[in-house]
Amino acid sequence: MAIASLFVVPSWDDVRHNIWSEEMRFSLKLSLITGITSTILVMLFALPIGYALSRFRFWGKGLVKTVIDMPIAFPELVLGLCLLLLFGSTILRDILASAGINFVFTKKGIVAAQFFTALPYAIRIMKSTFDYINPRLEFVSRSLGYSMFETFKNISLPLAKNGIVASMVISFARCIGTFGTVLILAGGSYMKTEILPITLYLNISYGNMGMALTSGIVLMIVSFLAIFVFEKAEVSL
Amino acid sequence: MSFLRIDNLHISLGDFYLKDVSFTLEKRDYLIIIGPTGAGKTILLESIVGFWKPQKGSIYLEKVDITNELPEKRNIGIVYQDYVLLPHFTVFDNIAYGLKKKKCCQKESKIREMACMLNIDHLLHRRPDTLSGGEQQRVALARALVVDPKLLLMDEPFSALDPQTGRETRQLLKRVISKSDITVIHISHDLNDAWALANKTAVLREGALLQFGKVDEIFNRPRSAFIANFVGATILHGTAEKNGNGLTSVNIDGVKLASIDSAINGSDVTVAIRPENIIVLKK
Ligand SMILES: Nc1ncnc2c1ncn2[C@@H]1O[C@H](COP(=O)(O)OP(=O)(O)OP(=O)(O)O)[C@@H](O)[C@H]1O
Ligand SMILES: [Mg+2]
Repeated sequence: MAIASLFVVPSWDDVRHNIWSEEMRFSLKLSLITGITSTILVMLFALPIGYALSRFRFWGKGLVKTVIDMPIAFPELVLGLCLLLLFGSTILRDILASAGINFVFTKKGIVAAQFFTALPYAIRIMKSTFDYINPRLEFVSRSLGYSMFETFKNISLPLAKNGIVASMVISFARCIGTFGTVLILAGGSYMKTEILPITLYLNISYGNMGMALTSGIVLMIVSFLAIFVFEKAEVSL
Repeated sequence: MSFLRIDNLHISLGDFYLKDVSFTLEKRDYLIIIGPTGAGKTILLESIVGFWKPQKGSIYLEKVDITNELPEKRNIGIVYQDYVLLPHFTVFDNIAYGLKKKKCCQKESKIREMACMLNIDHLLHRRPDTLSGGEQQRVALARALVVDPKLLLMDEPFSALDPQTGRETRQLLKRVISKSDITVIHISHDLNDAWALANKTAVLREGALLQFGKVDEIFNRPRSAFIANFVGATILHGTAEKNGNGLTSVNIDGVKLASIDSAINGSDVTVAIRPENIIVLKK
């Protein structure tokens, strides 16, 4: 019902006009670029971390698990605030700055915010995916002469395919949909760090209902397309 | 020095401890490990392949200390009860998996020969999930054997199979093993395996190796009441008494049994009687 109302209310001429507006094109493009970048980064971290959590016992594993799960329970705004403090006022800022990286109120900040919002979900999915793969398959592979890395590539990764796809869908959806974290860390500046949820918010606050609704619709379409594309990818994999 | 030597192996995994396990095997030995569930049999096997790091002790294979060697460098094959075939590979590719890693020629013919020996040559193009349990286990055996491992480890290879299939697979295994000079360690719940296949037996309980020796030694000279009972003897309690002929007489509720074992006169003793030593005569 609520979703349907999004498509019923606006006048279609308005939407057509808004979609091709410069602001919308900017926002969509930035959303896609940051969303895809973040998803790739998230997966690069979630695969090894999820695997390690599933397979190895190590000192401090419980703590690592809690730290990783914490952002799921956090309100987005608080997570954003934590990241802002972390990247904006600790020695980490100086270290990053000397490497030429600044996350605060920048496009890189959008990626950072999306990354930390989506990472815990991706790790959880990857961990439970690897939990379901019999470790003895890996044992046998190693006894037949394959190293840990080769075994991961030959056995664990192909068998985790469904979990990887699910993890990517969730990550991408979280990344392009996240608002609070991005707003606080990257700022919601017009045509600068403006991604779709920010467009929605900015236009609501100007009272520009048509534009807000259009960005809502575009956001929905992108999410559905992502799920569709990933599902297709899963079949062909 | 022996072919395989395990020295004071000590492994702790969570609440479980494998305590000071030591034994040696010669080349071509076939060892059956028996013991109650939770004894640590699987853990012992998996630590020989290298999946668990021992806290203490060492493992020597052909005089080389392999205690800290990576599993992939040991050339030890393992076969599990639940087959663990690679589900995303065909039977052929499952068997070929280990060979791909080796620099040797005629891989294809080696695979076909092994498949023939194990009666799975008609299944090579199939997927593991389309095979019966017996067929899957033969594929797992072929996969482990085709790379000529120094040592073959098997964890209850027949216990998921129905008795008939289990017997057939055992016969096939016996034939394949007799054609090679491989050394085998085999965990089993079936005492018949010990008689049919092995020349040595080990009894494991609560992480400790209770007895290790020739098969008939374990069955005929068990070292404790637990082992005797575990290998099928009847346990009775009685009192040792003197007997004139240099034998010990054991009084069990008035029935006196003579034994060649010695015991202190008047002490409480346990008697183990194997079924094949009870002779029933018709009246
Ligand atoms: N990864 C592990 N971490 C902690 N404890 C473990 C682990 N694997 C096994 N154990 C425990 O170690 C004990 C011995 O396990 P093991 O599998 O070696 O027994 P087993 O002799 O093979 O028994 P079964 O005949 O039932 O297969 C069990 O109590 C088990 O719960
Ligand atoms: Mg076991």
